[in-house]
Amino acid sequence: MFSGYIDGLIVILAINVIMAYSAALPLVAGQLNLGTAGFMAVGAYMAAFLSNEYGLPIGVAILVGSLASGLIALIIGIPVLRTSGIYLALATFALGQILVAVFLNLEIVGAAQGYPVYGYIEMPTIALTTIGLLILLFVLSQTRFWLYLTAIKNDPTVCDLFGIEVRNVQLAAFVLGGMLAAVAGGLQAHYLSYVEAQSFGALISIYTVLFVILGGTQTVLGPLVGAAFFTFLPEVFRSGEEWRYAIFAAFIIGFMVLRPQGMINANMMRRLKAPFGGKASA
Amino acid sequence: MLLEINSLSVKYGRIPALEDFSMEIKRGEIATVLGANGAGKSTLLKAILGMEKASHGKVVWEGENVTNWSPSRRIKDGLALVPEGRRILIAQTIEENLLLGAYQRDDVDAIRHEMETIYDRFPNLCERRHMQASCLSGGEQQMLAIGRALLSKPDLLMLDEPSLGLSPLFVKQLFKLLRDLNKGGLTILLVEQNTDQALALANTGYVLERGKLIISDGAQKLANDPRLHEAYLGVAAE
Amino acid sequence: MLQQLINGMMLGSVYVLIAVAFTLSIGILNFLNFSIPGLFMLGGMISWVLISMGVPPLLAFGLAFLIACACALVVEKLTFSWMKGSDHEVPLVSSLGFLILFEQILLVFYGSDQQAFPKVIPNATLKLGDLVIGSAQLLGLVLSIAIVIGISRFLKKTRVGRGIRAIAEDTTTAEFLGINVNVVVPLIFLISGAVAAIGGMLFAVNYSQVSPFMGEEVGFKGISAMIIGGMGSVWGAIAGGLLIGLAEVMSIYFLGSDFVDLSVYGLLLIILMVRPQGLFGLAQVREKL
Repeated sequence: MFSGYIDGLIVILAINVIMAYSAALPLVAGQLNLGTAGFMAVGAYMAAFLSNEYGLPIGVAILVGSLASGLIALIIGIPVLRTSGIYLALATFALGQILVAVFLNLEIVGAAQGYPVYGYIEMPTIALTTIGLLILLFVLSQTRFWLYLTAIKNDPTVCDLFGIEVRNVQLAAFVLGGMLAAVAGGLQAHYLSYVEAQSFGALISIYTVLFVILGGTQTVLGPLVGAAFFTFLPEVFRSGEEWRYAIFAAFIIGFMVLRPQGMINANMMRRLKAPFGGKASA
Repeated sequence: MLLEINSLSVKYGRIPALEDFSMEIKRGEIATVLGANGAGKSTLLKAILGMEKASHGKVVWEGENVTNWSPSRRIKDGLALVPEGRRILIAQTIEENLLLGAYQRDDVDAIRHEMETIYDRFPNLCERRHMQASCLSGGEQQMLAIGRALLSKPDLLMLDEPSLGLSPLFVKQLFKLLRDLNKGGLTILLVEQNTDQALALANTGYVLERGKLIISDGAQKLANDPRLHEAYLGVAAE
Repeated sequence: MLQQLINGMMLGSVYVLIAVAFTLSIGILNFLNFSIPGLFMLGGMISWVLISMGVPPLLAFGLAFLIACACALVVEKLTFSWMKGSDHEVPLVSSLGFLILFEQILLVFYGSDQQAFPKVIPNATLKLGDLVIGSAQLLGLVLSIAIVIGISRFLKKTRVGRGIRAIAEDTTTAEFLGINVNVVVPLIFLISGAVAAIGGMLFAVNYSQVSPFMGEEVGFKGISAMIIGGMGSVWGAIAGGLLIGLAEVMSIYFLGSDFVDLSVYGLLLIILMVRPQGLFGLAQVREKL
């Protein structure tokens, strides 16, 4: 249908978008998760192992992988989310590194040699799954849960006073984020037919957060735009080949100087909605 | 003239905090600026020190236009402010706090000497000089804040509500201290809520209302001016 | 075993320097400056570039040091100066942008391969019984501890040091006192960048290899060392750095090299949960990003 290049690019985009939301969920509530790659690894290994060894349908394997990742996020999230700010960021960072290091030493999934995956899913499946997840996320963004998340970022103390259970909401966002990352990992594992612990390095987590912040966390569209932008921008600079990531980095710096609130902010969304009959709310 | 302010305005965003304010302070004088909360008194002091940017008008210090100078340069040149709430650095020792007052000075021996004078004046501080400033009471912290400002060897000492939150005994000591310092030749610009005591101490008084100067007069005449009380009541009634 | 202990300390001395660089930035300015691993790399890589161009080693180190310092100042101008009033994550992102930029620029010119760093220090070794201590390693350990002690004295005893500590506690008050924040803040970036660059040179000399990505692993471990020692504490950085170095060497010795991350980051996670302020941390370090 498409050339291999386009195919691959769409898959990268889909994975990046899912990852962006896995980092965005806690970030909307003001929590920086620098360990998303670890949860991605859990999803990848778990799904691959289940479909390889037990012949589970790939969809079910990914779902179970996602639940397992959510469970890990829940168990670890309870002590880790007691910290906040930079401590939380580094605790999640350490957590991500540890999860990856565990797989690096797990003989049953090939340890440092990597782990081949026999089941295969094609690009359209991945794209459709991503669209499905996006729809779910947009629905979620209309619920009170999302409102709580943004409120917690703005003022956790006031939220506490209004009876919002700050810790539980944060934990839920963290767990959902962990589950999303695992789905991305599971999809990627079955597309690439290979899982390798080294490919879930800390930079993946950091880049993911980068998508989100560049896209902006004020609206639900921000992470999507950020991820899409990050996927395509280096391709645009392809003609510059070896310079493209340097240009890309310079772009990030310049962008942050000029527009620190991200590409898509709340004001802009209101202005966009206004011409379509929606009233610009204050 | 030590300090001249010509139609100074300061804005926070688009909101004017101080409008078209002018004053003159002679060497050796005590001036006081009065007014209700939010009248722009603190803004005025910060603008004189350079912590707030003037949107209009100028600050002339010893005949020189210093409107665009940085706070550090103005402090080096003899301005000092004891900020509202004292702003003691509680993680540092009392002595380190004092030394920070002398940050812009290079004459180490003179600083040492003056520090001893300040310790003589405030024996409470001397005893605990190597302890963290968090061990001080509110009144002692105010003394430390004044001592710290004095160590910059100012020609003009500005104080922003120094009596706030102090016990009556400390307030009495504070005003006595200011009187002594003035007798020693120090020029003082005092912002106070404590109107009666401030006017009793000062030579001239200025009354601010919502960022504008409404009265300036000799302190004694001002003390009996009915408009002074209106200035407080007027804002309070809003 | 004792030999491993010594190797761990030597490795730790590099982490000590990175941890100090981070702790200055966080403890004083509350800024997790991700460009520090980049400046570490510049220290090592530029030295290598100059030495392989035939520049005498000492001069090469000096020039690399100056270039890294200049870069640290550029980072300050384009990240921290702009962060005022924005979300806490913003300067983090743009400092990360600088890390990528530095790495990519060197990648374009010199490729991503490990390059062999020439021996610039005579290969003398100190033998104490069965123990072998390389002269370069010993120099590294002594130098990094000397630098840390120097910084600690500077902060404690000098006028500018007092001003820096005042900024750390309350920037507005510091301004009220006439401390030229606009001069002192870049100075903090400069010191922190300089320490990182020296760390990169020591690493290059000790492990005889450099690459555009040499800062990443070491940078992450340096951050961990800072947290373990206690954010904002210069002495904590020494303890944390040496501890991480020991943990790394010991886990290689007893468990194998694939276990390094598990033990180092496991240690970090445990510390964060049990004692988030770290071993020597001050509880009052304001935390934000």
